[in-house]
Amino acid sequence: MSVQSPAGATQATPVKKGSSVGALLTNQLTILLLVFIALFFYFGSQNSRFFLTGEISSLVVDFSGLVLLAIAETYVIVSGGIDLSVGSTVAISGVIGAEVMNHYQGHMGQAPLLLLGTLICALVGVLVGAINAFLISVMKMVPFVATLITLSAGAGYALVVSGGGDIGNNQPAIIWSSTGWWIFTWLSLIVLTVAVITCIVLHFTRYGRYTFAIGSNDFAARAAGINVKRHIATIYVLSGFLSGLVGMFWFIRIGSGSPTTDATANLEAIACVVIGGVSLTGGIGNVIGTLLGCAILTIVTDGLVFINVPPTWNQVVVGAIIAIAAGLQVLRGTRSRR
Amino acid sequence: MSNVPLLELRNISKSYGSVQALTDVSFKAHAGEVIGLVGDNGAGKSTLIKVISGVHAPDKGELLVNGEARHWKSPHDSMEAGIETLYQDSGLAPHLTIGSNIFLGRELRRSGPLGRLGFLDQRSMERKALEELDKVGISVPAGRKTVSDLSGGQRQAVAIGRAVMWAKNVIILDEPTNHLGARQSQEVLNVIRAAREQGLCVLFISHTLPHVLEVCDRIVVLRLGSIVRDDPTSTYTVESLLGTITGLTK
Repeated sequence: MSVQSPAGATQATPVKKGSSVGALLTNQLTILLLVFIALFFYFGSQNSRFFLTGEISSLVVDFSGLVLLAIAETYVIVSGGIDLSVGSTVAISGVIGAEVMNHYQGHMGQAPLLLLGTLICALVGVLVGAINAFLISVMKMVPFVATLITLSAGAGYALVVSGGGDIGNNQPAIIWSSTGWWIFTWLSLIVLTVAVITCIVLHFTRYGRYTFAIGSNDFAARAAGINVKRHIATIYVLSGFLSGLVGMFWFIRIGSGSPTTDATANLEAIACVVIGGVSLTGGIGNVIGTLLGCAILTIVTDGLVFINVPPTWNQVVVGAIIAIAAGLQVLRGTRSRR
Repeated sequence: MSNVPLLELRNISKSYGSVQALTDVSFKAHAGEVIGLVGDNGAGKSTLIKVISGVHAPDKGELLVNGEARHWKSPHDSMEAGIETLYQDSGLAPHLTIGSNIFLGRELRRSGPLGRLGFLDQRSMERKALEELDKVGISVPAGRKTVSDLSGGQRQAVAIGRAVMWAKNVIILDEPTNHLGARQSQEVLNVIRAAREQGLCVLFISHTLPHVLEVCDRIVVLRLGSIVRDDPTSTYTVESLLGTITGLTK
């Protein structure tokens, strides 16, 4: 990587500075990684069952349930928006997917049935995302309000469709959901593959670059010829699509579609993003941070059970973690910018 | 210099609701010409350049490039026609690197199938950005620095460099010497002169009248959305220019 610029004088200093910026960034991610490892060994030291392959596998499954929503939220927040509707989209897509699968159960094989369900869930997710996109890009609503509408309406409609109860009873799906290899179930492997692809797209492709540019300065993005409205619209559709997949994920895990599953998942997803150091003002963030935030959140909520803390404390602890992460962000921000 | 103007505006009008920002604005700009566009705050300078660059569509009037009538649906269209714009204070994405900003909207992709999937060739962009900036006489720190890491003068240099390196016909510079020291301002004026040498047309918008008088071939004065004077620079003095802008003397 040689820079052939005759302005040799300007080159000696920046190399040092550039690496210190890199160091700062890796620092933040390193801290998150160390926190995760510390938590892992802390819970293990309190209860050695925590280290069993089966327990780690269930950690991975819980991580998988959250990670796509967290990545969806990362895209949205990096672009300068917010999506409050991811949780209700999980519910509505799961319920409608379950309704359709229930109808065809017994009329087709298990694999085609689940594929059909995946398709329906993804479609419902895309539809909700498209409504968000329409409200934001065409009706010019702020994302908070637009997705508040779909949050409320989506959660309500999930209750209407399901009549308040769970839909379907697909035992083979539940059984399949616990099969896999080592600490990975096949289901988590599929989810993690989708997660890795979306992470790569955000950081290495033009689509991801535009997402960052819009969040950083939407006027500059527009002036550079980027179709900002259309790009924003596709981000909300992507967010809906990923949420729809999570709806199917839960159907396979519990064998039915439930209108109350993931009702508060939007908050958890946003929590992962905040813990991961993604700026809520847009333009700044690293999806690796989100993944680590997601891992920390998962290990804490799962680990509390192992040290006999009642699960009712979960949300309080999550709140405390967000407070610590956000506090550190403020400290770091004031130190590096001023 | 050909007789067909590079850029021509005919009776451009634009209003925002009840506010008439531009009324029947017409002027011609030729290749190799530096035109000063001056006026008080609210005179319509920003609106005018946004119409030329495709950020806003005019309500009425025609815009011609090389004698052909054109309509911009978005800034992308004007960029395709070789018109580059430096917007006052807001043209860069602060959280992206210098290279990413220089190539924003024109990203280089990797060769092969990955490139077709939209994968970026970040390394080439960073390298070429520095090379190209150097060509137009602008030196910025190497390394993958984000724009927010740069000083105000360096940011402005990057923004100007981007406009000059991509422009094929017209460069619009809105307050390029704002927030700059005397030496940096002179560098900007040199970049403008170099652009003229290359046969580009430069629209130079500034409140710093000595700079305008120093570098421009012609000065167009806007007041309350209309052109009140359009003459060669030699016919102005600082006092007469100021008087025309404010409308206090004639």
